Amino acid sequence: MSGARGGTSPEQKPWDLLAGRDFIEVRFGGSGGQGVILMGVILATAATLDHRRVVQTESYGPEARGGYSRSDVIISNEAVDYPEVERADLLVAMSQPAATQYIGSLREEGIFIYDSESVTEPPLFRGTTFAVPFARMALEETGRKQTTNILALGAVATITGIVLADSLRKAVMGKVPPGTEELNSRALARGLALDPAEWQRGGAGAHS
Amino acid sequence: MTLEIEQLLHRERLPHIWCAGCGVGIVAGAFLRAVLDLGLKRENTVVVSGIGCSSRAAGYIDLNTVHAIHGRALPVATGIKMARPEFTVIVLTGDGDGAAIGGNHLIHSCRRNIDLTCILFNNQIYGMTGGQFSPTTEPGDIATTAPYGQFEPPFDLCRLAEAAGATFVARGTAANIRQTEKLIKQGIQHCGFSFIEAVVPCPTEYGRRNKPAKAVDMLEAERARSISKTKAARLSPEELRDKIVTGVLYEDTQKPEFQRTYAEVSAGVRAQVGRRFAEEDEK
Amino acid sequence: MEPWHGHLLKERVDQSSLLIQGNRACVLGALDAGVRFYAGYPITPSSEIMEAMAFELPRAGGVFVQMEDEIASICACIGAALTGEVAMTATSGPGFSLMQEAIGYAIMVEAPLVIVNVMRAGPSTGRPTAPSQGDVMQARWGTHGDHPAIVLAASNVADMYRLTMAAVRFALRFRTPVTLLADQVVGQMRESFSEELIGRYRLTSGDFDFTPGYLHPDVAREVRRPHILGSGEHPHVTGLFHDETGFPTNDPEKTDKFLRDLYNKVAHHRDELCLYDVKNEGNGRVCIVAYGSCARSARAAWRLADQEGLSVEILHLYTLFPLPVEIIQKVARRVEFMIIPELNLGQYAHEVRKMAEQWTTVIGMNKTDGTLITPREILDRIAELVGKYESV
Repeated sequence: MSGARGGTSPEQKPWDLLAGRDFIEVRFGGSGGQGVILMGVILATAATLDHRRVVQTESYGPEARGGYSRSDVIISNEAVDYPEVERADLLVAMSQPAATQYIGSLREEGIFIYDSESVTEPPLFRGTTFAVPFARMALEETGRKQTTNILALGAVATITGIVLADSLRKAVMGKVPPGTEELNSRALARGLALDPAEWQRGGAGAHS
Repeated sequence: MTLEIEQLLHRERLPHIWCAGCGVGIVAGAFLRAVLDLGLKRENTVVVSGIGCSSRAAGYIDLNTVHAIHGRALPVATGIKMARPEFTVIVLTGDGDGAAIGGNHLIHSCRRNIDLTCILFNNQIYGMTGGQFSPTTEPGDIATTAPYGQFEPPFDLCRLAEAAGATFVARGTAANIRQTEKLIKQGIQHCGFSFIEAVVPCPTEYGRRNKPAKAVDMLEAERARSISKTKAARLSPEELRDKIVTGVLYEDTQKPEFQRTYAEVSAGVRAQVGRRFAEEDEK
Repeated sequence: MEPWHGHLLKERVDQSSLLIQGNRACVLGALDAGVRFYAGYPITPSSEIMEAMAFELPRAGGVFVQMEDEIASICACIGAALTGEVAMTATSGPGFSLMQEAIGYAIMVEAPLVIVNVMRAGPSTGRPTAPSQGDVMQARWGTHGDHPAIVLAASNVADMYRLTMAAVRFALRFRTPVTLLADQVVGQMRESFSEELIGRYRLTSGDFDFTPGYLHPDVAREVRRPHILGSGEHPHVTGLFHDETGFPTNDPEKTDKFLRDLYNKVAHHRDELCLYDVKNEGNGRVCIVAYGSCARSARAAWRLADQEGLSVEILHLYTLFPLPVEIIQKVARRVEFMIIPELNLGQYAHEVRKMAEQWTTVIGMNKTDGTLITPREILDRIAELVGKYESV
């Protein structure tokens, strides 16, 4: 366990729980304003850089802030037909309602990652689960809660290996608002350096 | 002069649909004289009208003419002007077409200050559909949809146009057609949105239910009620109540014109992009 | 025409591939097809088209105007089209409703233009951010009177590009407005998109050319001589019934001929206009007829069915109107069931039923809750039908 705070830890070995799969369904859920759709767009961009076929869809309420927000990303080696997640391999929940609402779309053998401070009553899930205080970490790392989504993406890459860290870095730099590159780069590094073992819930020994 | 005007008419389309004593033809004639006097090139002059008695003028004029749908002459004209800035685009509309169903387009055309000339024939009634009240029908007057007298307040269209941002606002009458012709000429020459209200009598649908009734009397009344802007300035609101204030009511030559501004912005962006591409090519 | 430099720079993630949003792919297709005039009014979920046009058109030397409403938007497009510009507007249900009268005018004066309707759940304000296919029959019959209609439906990001180009070509060749229907999912999704993908793509109508910038130089023979303002002819343009001169006529023979010519110029060119794709041709007792995002569900259902040993045929329609009568009847003759999944209460199924019910059983599958029909739902329905059939 690196336990590194505020610094990067490039020697952190990714767990790559979903790496190498031909077809991966990812769902990001949260509330409007959390940057959940941007998370989907960035992951999709990174996967495109990895030369994968990608579809990203979004579903959101009419409000710009608050309300629900969902972004699905399907990464494949072939053309993708149905554009939305049917049975997610990975669910990233940034809010309590998203966790509660979307847990049913996650496969039993899927991976559930959530923000441990927003999701105070995690829904019952027997599979691999990671509870990470993304928002608090982002605040510590950059002083900006707005970098939470980028930090979480870094963690997603480390835990799952669905995109290459380099591609993710490129995608983040291309998509974040101008002027925020440095902050977001720090947030991403912090996420990439996260030690999955430290944040895994329940099923000890899931990773061998 | 008469001969030349006839050259601007589709003579095979005559006789026209306007009733005896109607003021629309009088103002349409003034418009044609203005076109001739200004020496506008036929191929570059476009007349756009909507639906209604006055809008039928487009069908008799041998220029590029577009008889659009009810209320929408201004947006069609906007598309034409933006696509072909070199065209002189004139909109012929009425009080129903231009101020009721097309009222929103009128205020937004004023706001943009796009270089169009809008001649609004105000006969204060829906003539073609049979004498229903319009947004300029005078209070107390009778219309087929105001059988107990009009109780809605009317628009003062010139004040509306000025407030909305038009940069040339004028009012003329069929009774004083020389003045109206001059105002139309000034309006066409003005760069920006020109709004010219032409007060015209409708003896058939307005006159027959109200006073005065006859065409000549209606014209006479128009003349009697007309007052210049300078004289009007000296009168109290009560004294002005029944008056038609004529002449150039507002003019602003400073406010940027929409199409030219767009062209400048577009040229600026292209120059910037071009420079960037040149730099990238060098690298 | 000046070149343009935009999207490809902004959204390119590396040299070979793009991740691009459907609405933006539509803009890319429009610009490649020569659209240089856009007038519109913001409305979810189509606004990205307008925003991209606001960014690109000044750079391309074209014209972008944000109008005061959708009526003004389409009227400005008509004005531009009358001068010879290729004009486009985009909207969603409520705005499409407002445009209807002007669409009739554009048809009547033979003004070519492209209208993109990124459909949302309706009627009325409905659910602005939920997908729907509720405007299919409005796209066909929305404006009053007998009239022709060319209506295309996009099901993915590449479609948004190439069908926009097709729409431009059809509009210019047939001198009439063309409607491209998308929905919230197709319009707002981002998907891999590459030059290679466009090039490789082939629709079954063989004569279709998707070369960027390609415009059909020939106007269909049924079209009256196009009147271009400022071309020196000083034409008269009117929404009244008119004769060859362009001037109004009340002559019964002339008005009848005018309307029939208008209608037939599209009806007689179904061969060229009807774009579709058949998968697993001639195999299976069931054909899924689908368009828009439902076609994606259908394709996924076909793959699932294959895994489960069920053979299913797919008829993916890109052109909804004019009705692709020939292919629908051809398929109807060889299958026992036609399933038509739609995000509406069966608008297109009703059209297909009229053409096909003498040969096959047409079954609608409908969803109006603002979510997509899943492949599993389609497959379950097929299994139910085939099972039912076998038990008889």
